[in-house]
Amino acid sequence: MNTAVQILVSGLTLGAMYAISTIGLSLAWGAVGVLNMAQGGFLVIGGYAAYAGATYLGLSAPLALALSALAGAAVGAATYFFVIRFMLDCDNFETNVIIATVGLALIFENVILQAFGAYPLRQPVRIEGGVNIAATYVPYESIAILAASVTAMMAVAWVLARTRMGRAIRAVSQNRAAALLMGVPVNTVYLQVLTISGVLAALSGVMLSTITTLAPTMGYDPMLKAFIVCVVAGLGNMYGALYAAFALGILEASVQFFLGVRFGFPAMLLLIILTLVWRPYGVFGRGVTQRF
Amino acid sequence: MRKDVAIGLPLLVLAIVVPFAWPTRYVVEEMTLFFIWAAVVTQWNLVFGVAGVFSLAQMAIFAIGGYVTGMLGLYLGWSLWLAMFAGGLAAVVFSALVGVACLRLRGAYVALLTLAITQTMYLLIITDTECFYMEGVTCRNFTGGTRGLTGYGDFGFHQLLPHKYAAFGDYFLALAVLCTATAFSVFIIRSPVGLAFKALRDNTVYAISRGIGRFKYQLLVFAASALFTGLAGAVYAGHFRVMGANTLYLSQTLFLLSMMIIGGVGQIWGPLLGAAALMLVDEALKEVVEWRLLGLGLMLVVFVVVWPKGLAGGVEAIARRWRRDSVRAFAAVRPEEVASAKE
Amino acid sequence: MRDDASTVLEVRGLVAGYQDHEVLRGMSLALGKGELVTLIGPNGHGKTTLLRCISGLVRPSGGEIRFGGESIVGRRANEIVARGVVHIPQGDLLFPEMTVADNLMMGAYLPSANAAAETRLKEVYELLPALQERRFQIASTLSGGERRMLAIGRGLMSGGQLLLVDEPSLGLAPIAIEHVYSVISSLRQRGWTILLVEENVNRIIDIADRVYLLDAGRIVWEGAPHTLFDHQELLEVYLGS
Repeated sequence: MNTAVQILVSGLTLGAMYAISTIGLSLAWGAVGVLNMAQGGFLVIGGYAAYAGATYLGLSAPLALALSALAGAAVGAATYFFVIRFMLDCDNFETNVIIATVGLALIFENVILQAFGAYPLRQPVRIEGGVNIAATYVPYESIAILAASVTAMMAVAWVLARTRMGRAIRAVSQNRAAALLMGVPVNTVYLQVLTISGVLAALSGVMLSTITTLAPTMGYDPMLKAFIVCVVAGLGNMYGALYAAFALGILEASVQFFLGVRFGFPAMLLLIILTLVWRPYGVFGRGVTQRF
Repeated sequence: MRKDVAIGLPLLVLAIVVPFAWPTRYVVEEMTLFFIWAAVVTQWNLVFGVAGVFSLAQMAIFAIGGYVTGMLGLYLGWSLWLAMFAGGLAAVVFSALVGVACLRLRGAYVALLTLAITQTMYLLIITDTECFYMEGVTCRNFTGGTRGLTGYGDFGFHQLLPHKYAAFGDYFLALAVLCTATAFSVFIIRSPVGLAFKALRDNTVYAISRGIGRFKYQLLVFAASALFTGLAGAVYAGHFRVMGANTLYLSQTLFLLSMMIIGGVGQIWGPLLGAAALMLVDEALKEVVEWRLLGLGLMLVVFVVVWPKGLAGGVEAIARRWRRDSVRAFAAVRPEEVASAKE
Repeated sequence: MRDDASTVLEVRGLVAGYQDHEVLRGMSLALGKGELVTLIGPNGHGKTTLLRCISGLVRPSGGEIRFGGESIVGRRANEIVARGVVHIPQGDLLFPEMTVADNLMMGAYLPSANAAAETRLKEVYELLPALQERRFQIASTLSGGERRMLAIGRGLMSGGQLLLVDEPSLGLAPIAIEHVYSVISSLRQRGWTILLVEENVNRIIDIADRVYLLDAGRIVWEGAPHTLFDHQELLEVYLGS
């Protein structure tokens, strides 16, 4: 009994981390087909911006978070202006975006490394303390992440489904030419999505760095997990992503408990491959199966 | 085909002459490494540029080749010459399995899944801490763990060749792998399989109506190209006498990806050009090594955004313009002769 | 060619194409207020490209397009629709995963149209009652005729003066074609200026004010629809009938 609760608690903690890393990525990939490999870099920049704000500028926690959001918006917009904008009309948009954003990721990593060093830092913008649940210590930060990830996912899903901007984003993802004919400024939609995705990623980065540490490469692992969540859930399905994140978190926690920590990720990978063989567009995906 | 030989043969002659002309350890060492990476990139180019599968598992396939070779040498005492081919075959089997799992998915999914496979392999190796055998009082892991797999020896050129030329052995072995890999790549691109892929790219509906099934050909190229990738891994393992998880670093994958992109995706001579360019740039950046990633990243972004056809595409465009200009200059004098010359 | 104050659309010497393949080679035409003008001609000779140039989906390489007296050539599609040019494209180009109602609301995306969305929606449902019945259905599950109606309804939601309609009968059953044309006639009565692309000459004889015959990227004949039959040679050469 105690074991089950323990697995559940650490599974939910992991799941919340996955969910919060997934939001920004899922928005950009699911809604406008930009698979942003620099998303990990967005997380890192957000984390370090909050750190710099609190440590060097002496900002209070809310202001440091605001600074981080601002930094996220700036890199998101810069990604649009320097990279995505030029590729919108090319044939291999999908793969070219992957390659170009991989390049961006390297640039971000290098700049952060030179600015802050490779030594892991402690995130000062945090909530201290925690509680014991079933003999497992749960930091308040984990609970905050859980709440934030669920709230943010639902907020993004609501914006996409109910608002004028959300409808325009969906229109661009479903038929770009038609969206233009309806008067949607398509380029502006890409800019909006990347900026919002940057803000979400930056704030996620601050929260993630409170329970791990700040390091120039800390973004890659959450990013890979976020990709997996997106793939399992199926693209563009926010609620699906939420379920998938928690399901994978609990799965990983169980595998770690029963088989050992090192098999957590391989077990996830195996499950994903099996999932995709069964449903190539993800568990909650709705894509039409192509013939080729 | 004749054009390919006309380009390839002089390069081969050059590669044979170089170690005799500059027999320094530095040149021979760098060139050997160049041959290995170029061989891997030619095969990756077949998978991505020709078959259109954006796989990031290339270094995982390479590592399978290297690790299997090393393990057969270490645990079963095989000669590396024999183990090398076993390593190549293991790479083919591994690649076919990855292909079956991934190839039915769409572009970005393939990239993510293969990246995850590479990452999983890396994690499994560096977290390997169980004792597999004891070497004196030290505990050794099955995969070599973070220290790397060692103790399986090398290709034995130090016994076969006079001391002065010992390093030439690995040099020419790597060159041989690169040559066969390049020949295979030319063969695939010019063969009906290559044409089938071109048909699929140009007009999918027509190609399908003619019964050209993408999956079958993709799997074929994916598996076959793994043979040379695995052999390159084996040569790498034998050359350095250690096989480590550093081959699976993301940065290594991206270094080779940059070679492919900057050289020119889908072009026969792109990988060679790209590998040479990237190794030269890397060498030039040794002074400012702390900005290496930035340089790599900038090059990737700039090439994809501004020059997606890469260096090989650039060379071809210049060659075409030069040819056209010369035809035009000729035409200005006697148009009718150009017309007859064309026939 | 008309050239008075009532001219809504004027195209002069338009040149456009894709990559190195030129489709329009100096195209000129004009539409007066409230006219229904039809563009006919063989496939692949630039009818669709002309409409795409007018609505801004394709950027012409030369020539002039004036709408309401102002030049719109080279502007972005979203700016042109804001001025009142509605393009109902070939193949409908619906938003397949949205409901019928969401598709219609996308038509009213622009702030000016959004303000009038309520009343326009009522008008569209009145004109096309089938859409109201199916308003919660996902667009990709509609029948061909319903899709065409949705494409037309979505265009009307934008509001404007000029309607570009690209082959509204394409791929539809005869009864659905009948319906589409009755809708187009009633739109004309409501004051829209309409530029219609059609392959089937018999369809447009009764409803069009004027006909332009297009061949190889140029206008080769212009006149009243029934006089078309006086020029048997034109019909034979260009339509192969």
